[in-house]
This record gives sequence, structure tokens and C-alpha cells, in this order.
Amino acid sequence: MSALEWVERQRGDVWRRRTGRALTYLVLFAVTAIMLYPFWLMGQMSFRSLPQYYLGKGFSLTTWHDLFAALPIGREMLNSTLITLCSIAVILAVSTTGGYALGTLRYRLSSLVFLIVVCSMMVPMQSMIIPEYINLARLGFINHYYGAIAVYSALGAPFATFLMTTYFRRLPEDVIEAALIDGLGYGSVFFRIMLPLAVPAIATVAVLQFIQIWDDLLVGLLFLQTPAHRTITVGLETIPAQHFQNFPMEMAGSLVSALPAVVVFLVFQRYLIRGLTMGMSK
Amino acid sequence: MTVQEAAAELPNARRRARRSPLAAQRQRMGILFTLPVAALIGSLLLIPIGQTFYYSFTNWDGFTSQWIGFAAYRHLFNTPEFVTVLENNAVMVLAIPIAVALPLGVAFLLNTHIRGWRFFRSVFFLPTAVSWVVIAFVARRFFDPDKQGVLRSLLDHTGLGFWHPDLLGHEHSALLAVMITFVWSVFGTNMIIFLAGMSTIDQEIYDAAKVDGAGSFTVLVRITFPLLKRFVSFAFIISLITAFSALFSLIIVMTNGGPGYGSTTLEFFIYEKAFTESNFGVGATAGVVLFVLVFAVSMPLLRLLRSDD
Repeated sequence: MSALEWVERQRGDVWRRRTGRALTYLVLFAVTAIMLYPFWLMGQMSFRSLPQYYLGKGFSLTTWHDLFAALPIGREMLNSTLITLCSIAVILAVSTTGGYALGTLRYRLSSLVFLIVVCSMMVPMQSMIIPEYINLARLGFINHYYGAIAVYSALGAPFATFLMTTYFRRLPEDVIEAALIDGLGYGSVFFRIMLPLAVPAIATVAVLQFIQIWDDLLVGLLFLQTPAHRTITVGLETIPAQHFQNFPMEMAGSLVSALPAVVVFLVFQRYLIRGLTMGMSK
Repeated sequence: MTVQEAAAELPNARRRARRSPLAAQRQRMGILFTLPVAALIGSLLLIPIGQTFYYSFTNWDGFTSQWIGFAAYRHLFNTPEFVTVLENNAVMVLAIPIAVALPLGVAFLLNTHIRGWRFFRSVFFLPTAVSWVVIAFVARRFFDPDKQGVLRSLLDHTGLGFWHPDLLGHEHSALLAVMITFVWSVFGTNMIIFLAGMSTIDQEIYDAAKVDGAGSFTVLVRITFPLLKRFVSFAFIISLITAFSALFSLIIVMTNGGPGYGSTTLEFFIYEKAFTESNFGVGATAGVVLFVLVFAVSMPLLRLLRSDD
């Protein structure tokens, strides 16, 4: 190859790399627009009154006033927060202890229990929700916070326990043995050593469950039917029935209900990413 | 460790248990620490799913039930609307390759660690935090056939104004709108799965390929893709499970299963039968069908979900 040809070829490479990069950015910005558009739409439409919506322009705070008049937003946010946090607490309590037992202690038959946990991860909610509803209705759990908390905890527990088990299994056995030689029992090993070590996994479970429970509709719809106990997602779902075709109000309500989960997402995104891929990558 | 490997370790645990008092304590504490999660899952997941199986053979109305055996299943599968529902589920499967391929392509672009890739990753992943109800509200605005509809004004502005599709208004196209919305929603999750997969591939392999003179397309097809197979199947299965068992809230707000049974999938059918028509027996029978479907689909997950090697 002559020097001239070599220069020609290098020039071609540079040109190709530049168009390649430009095309990449073109695709990435297009996808960005598609992904962010709904948020822009919600924001824009919520600041229009209904006539302005049909007109396609204008700015007004009417919709926001109407929204707060139509729905007990504060109450519903409080309900959502309470139910979500309590469910997360229960899920963390059972999944850390369960994960310690199945991942670290590994007693006789523990692998069978682990298999059952993994299988219960795959039970679709709709397949068990009918008897669940009837059972809890018989116990008088409907329209009480604890009924919804019980159901959310049961639905979240299998995956959380699976995550905790795989996490604890990866912690070296030496740590525990050293603690046992120092005279600690298996109980204090859990509280004083394992639990502090599990903080990243605990954060992962908490973030995953926060988004899942905050965003859920079905359990709230069935187990919390009175307006006083309703979560924000259930309240949001009632807007079309109460305010027919008030689209700006739907958007304003959507924005309010989405905000906490989005904030949690943005702050703790790292843990969410880890949770989704845990058990897959090394 | 896979489930099989865990099972193989069982005899070891047994031997350890006999050896010392400490091992006996370990056994006791293990059982004690398992109790809370076992009680919770047992009472609120396993018992109800068992009841679903039992009641699927009855004509349960929520209060009384009579055993009718396999006639319940025969009756269900002979119901024309149930056949439509199963067909809808089959059609949903067609969305899965797209729901996997699009984020896979974008993950390839981001994995070049182009300037600003972290920003793009966050933005694309953001819809994961948004509830199906919110997504459904926005989707209704998007597919709205009126002048305010986003899709319609988009078509108007690109010179396609002569074509005004009303996807949500017709029995045979409403499901398509649901599928498009579904693809949008799971984009971020699948992209994250692929990015995680790509980060496990050693950079040295790429360097070696470059030295051997492989072009970027060859690298993609010959190296990256084969090494990602595990992650592609994982994303495929997770998306399929989502499509079959997590779209209730999207469907109830976006189409309410209609028009007709046009966008009623199996999980929505169960809800309709049980909680709208109080036909709990049929709901339970359909619940078993869904359970079997989802379980069959997720079986390969047991192999994929390895905690360590």
C-alpha cells in the first residue's frame, strides 16, 4: 500500500467514524424524545383548563384547583406512603431473616424451601387474587390498611427473599466462623454482622418494592374500596368516572401520583439497576 | 448456585447437623429464621393458589360451590369469548421480539460509552418508575382520534393527515395500541438488562477482535450477540411474563378490555369474570390456565437465575 493510499484510507475511516457518531446521537435523541414526551405532555396539559385543552393553547391553574377539590390528594398520598412503607418494612423483615436462613445457615431441607420461594415468585397475581380476596373478606380485612399491607407483603416477599438469599450466599463463610469463635450465637451473627453487611441488598429491595407498591392498582382497587383508605393510584383511576373526559385533570393527577416514585427512582436508580440484574450477572 | 446444585449439597448439610451441638443450633436457628417468610408466603400465596386449583373444578359463586370436575374446563374452552381471549394472548406474544430487539439495539449504541451515555441510560430507564395507570392515561391521549390526539397531530404535521387511525375504537386494533404502549414501557427495563450483560463481556475480547481486523458489525454478530444469549432469553421471558400477568392496570384504564373482547387478555378476563360478573368459579378455572401458562414460560428462568457459578 502506498503512503497516499494509506492517507486516503485513514481519511475515509475518520469520515465514517464521524457519521457513525452523528447517527448514534440522532437515534439516542429520538429515543429521548419518545421517552420524555409523556412527561412533557402531562406537564403542559395540566396547566390548561378544559376549554384551553380543546383550543390547544393557553395557560391556567384551574385544573390544579379542580384536582385538589375533586380528590383528597393529601389523604391519598398519606395512605399510599403509609401502606408502601409498612409493606416494605414487613418484606424486609421476612426477606432478610429468610435470606439468612436459606443463604447462610443452609440447614436440612433449606434448598427445598428455597425452591418453593423461587416457584412462588412465578405465581401470577390474578391466579391467586380471587381466593385471597374471599379469604381476607371473611376475616374482615377489607378497607383496612393491614389487609392491603398483608397482600403487598406476600406478593413482594418471594422475590425479596430470593434476592437476599443470593446476596447472603455470596458473603464469605469465614466472617461467620470468626464471629462464632468469638462466642456469638447464630442470632447475634445475623443482627450484628449480616444485617449491616446486607445494607446494599436491603436498599435494592426497598427501592424495587417502593415503585412496585406505589404504582399498583389491582390490590388497592379490591382491598381498599373506601375513599378514606384509597391510595393515590386508585384515586387517580376514579377520575374518568367522576369527571368525564376531563383530560387535563387526568394529566395533573398523573403527574402528582407519579412524582414520588420518579423521585425515588432518580435518587436510588443505582440500586434499582442492581436489583433487576441480580442473579444474572456476576 | 443453581437449584440442582443446592439440592446436591443436601447430604453435606445433614452430616454437619449430626456432628456438633453448634450444627444442631444452626439447624434450629435456620428453621426459626425461615418461619416468618414461610408463614407469610404460605398463608397468603400458596394457600390461595391451592384454593384456585380446587375451585377451578367447581361452580363457585363466592359463598357456595359444587364440584363439577373437568366439565368446568370443557365449558370454559367451549366459550367463544374465552377463545378470543386466548387468541389475544397469542397476539401479545408477537410484541415480545420487538420489545426485546429495540432496547437491544439501543444498548449496543450506549455500550460504546459515547459521551453522555449515563444521561441517556437514566432517561430511557425512567418510565420504569411510572405506574400503568399514568401510562394508560397518556396512551389514551396519544391514540385519541380527535384533533387533540398526539398521533393524529403527528400524522397531520408529517403530511399523512389523510390517514386518521382510531386504534382504540376498533375491536381488531385496540390490542395493537396496548402492545405499542407495552413496548414503550418495558424498553428501559430490557435495556438495563442488556447493558448489564454487555458489562460482563471482557474488553480484551474486543481488543483481540480488533487486532484480528474484525469490523464493528462482525464484532457485534460474532462476539457480542453470542455472549449475550443468556440475557436475551432472560429479557424475553421477563417481558412475556409481564405481557401475560402485569398489564391489568394498563388495560382497565386504556381500553377496559374492549371494544368487545378486542383487548381482553387472560388476566383481565379473570378479573372481569370474578369481580364484575361474580362468576368466581370461571375466574378460578381461567386462573389455573394463566398459572400454567406463566409457569411454563418461566421454567427456563430457574436455569438462568444463577446466583453464582
